[in-house]
Amino acid sequence: RASGRTGEIRREPKVVEHSRSGERCACVVWRLLAVMAAAEAEAVGAQCGMAGLDRTRTAGCAGGQEGAASPARDETEAKADAAGPVRDEAGAVGLAVADAEVRPPPLPELRLVQLGAEAHVYRGLFLGRPVVAKIRVPKRYRHPALEERLSRRRMAQEARSLLRCRRAGIPAPVVYFVDYVTNSIYLEDIADSVTVQDHIYSVQQSRNDTSSLLPLAEKMGELLAKMHDEDLIHGDLTTSNILLRPPLEKLDLVIIDFGLSFISGLPEDKGVDLYVLEKAFLSIHPNTEGMFKALLQTYAAASKKSAPVIKKLDEVRLRGRKRSMIG
Amino acid sequence: MELTHQLELFPDRSVTLLLFNRVKNAAALRKKAMEGAIGGALINPAMIVDPFQILVAANKAVHLHKIGKMKTRTLNAEIIFSLSPNNNISDAFKKFGISDSDTAILIVMVVDRENPVNLQDIASQVDGQQVSLDELPQLTDTVKVKKMYKITPQEEKIGTLLDSIVCRISTKDVL
Repeated sequence: RASGRTGEIRREPKVVEHSRSGERCACVVWRLLAVMAAAEAEAVGAQCGMAGLDRTRTAGCAGGQEGAASPARDETEAKADAAGPVRDEAGAVGLAVADAEVRPPPLPELRLVQLGAEAHVYRGLFLGRPVVAKIRVPKRYRHPALEERLSRRRMAQEARSLLRCRRAGIPAPVVYFVDYVTNSIYLEDIADSVTVQDHIYSVQQSRNDTSSLLPLAEKMGELLAKMHDEDLIHGDLTTSNILLRPPLEKLDLVIIDFGLSFISGLPEDKGVDLYVLEKAFLSIHPNTEGMFKALLQTYAAASKKSAPVIKKLDEVRLRGRKRSMIG
Repeated sequence: MELTHQLELFPDRSVTLLLFNRVKNAAALRKKAMEGAIGGALINPAMIVDPFQILVAANKAVHLHKIGKMKTRTLNAEIIFSLSPNNNISDAFKKFGISDSDTAILIVMVVDRENPVNLQDIASQVDGQQVSLDELPQLTDTVKVKKMYKITPQEEKIGTLLDSIVCRISTKDVL
């Protein structure tokens, strides 16, 4: 498949070994993954490693295949964080194989949002409503039986978590349809929303004043406390996975992307979930230590089971890259 | 008057909804439906909050029919079963199907592009007045619906009743 860059020297995508599964996958390196993969490989195992895969950006490759991609690309650029120079490494090699087998859903007003390594994400209309369709990418290097089972489980986890959120009063997208054949899921598209990541960027750029973001941090802490009290672990907490519905002042938050979520009552898992968010926060958003502190404080106050979780969080912080595990 | 929507993922199928009020022959219709003489599912409109609820259930039913994984024996039965939050088929029919004393019925038909259905034929069998789907909310029994789907008080704050219902319909067999 000619992705329009035949003249280029093909670089092999970076291969990262995951400690938990020992599986070798082609990960596209981008800013967050570079920080997290090494630090987290020891601390949290495969949890964040796969998260990095989900966030693969492929601006270049999208154009060749879908005509609808160009307006979508702008959307991707607008919506996604600026992964900048790293985007180029989107190995045409790895994607070419998978893309050929994933059919875009025949929805009206179809726009491509992202060609991730785990799933291709599209926007469109389904049964008359705006939806986000996540079509899973089959991994041909896996044994087919395992692939089927793993894919099904991941999708089931996502659907289950979304239902659990709804029951508990945690804002998350509505599930419209789960397709077991292609392991795809069709979710409510939260219209006109902006990711917390983009929001923080724009506030920092315009006013350079993060103290106005403290109420947002507190709201996030509250929401996460509620989620963890339901023993629901998100698994991929970043500021790009929390949306703000308009009007922005109302701080109407929605949590999305439960593809790596699971149920657990262990403070360790909750602590790690928070650690992932902390790392994401501090590496993507400069000068936000105060924000995260406020988030944790609200979390501790709002959650009944927070004390052991915070304790575990402190322990987890001591692990990982460039940390001495003494004592 | 009626509402038709072509299923995006199954382009040769469309779902048509017809709503009737002041129906007098519910018993006879139910019998006909059980025999399969009516080319559609007869649903109790009191349990339906919005046509979207039917579309989601119908989409799921058509999908399962296509892959041969239906839990019931016919597509129409599967639509009624999909509407139910639990896995008891006869309970689904009792709660979401029509009973002999009902005065309002909703007919849902999944139409193949190759076998067009004459809506007049269906409508003429109903001894009642066909009304627009816009009147559906007036016929909904919200209390009964909330009880049936076991809607929690926290849920009502983060979304509409329809949101909660649709979530349950689409994730019923995932759990």
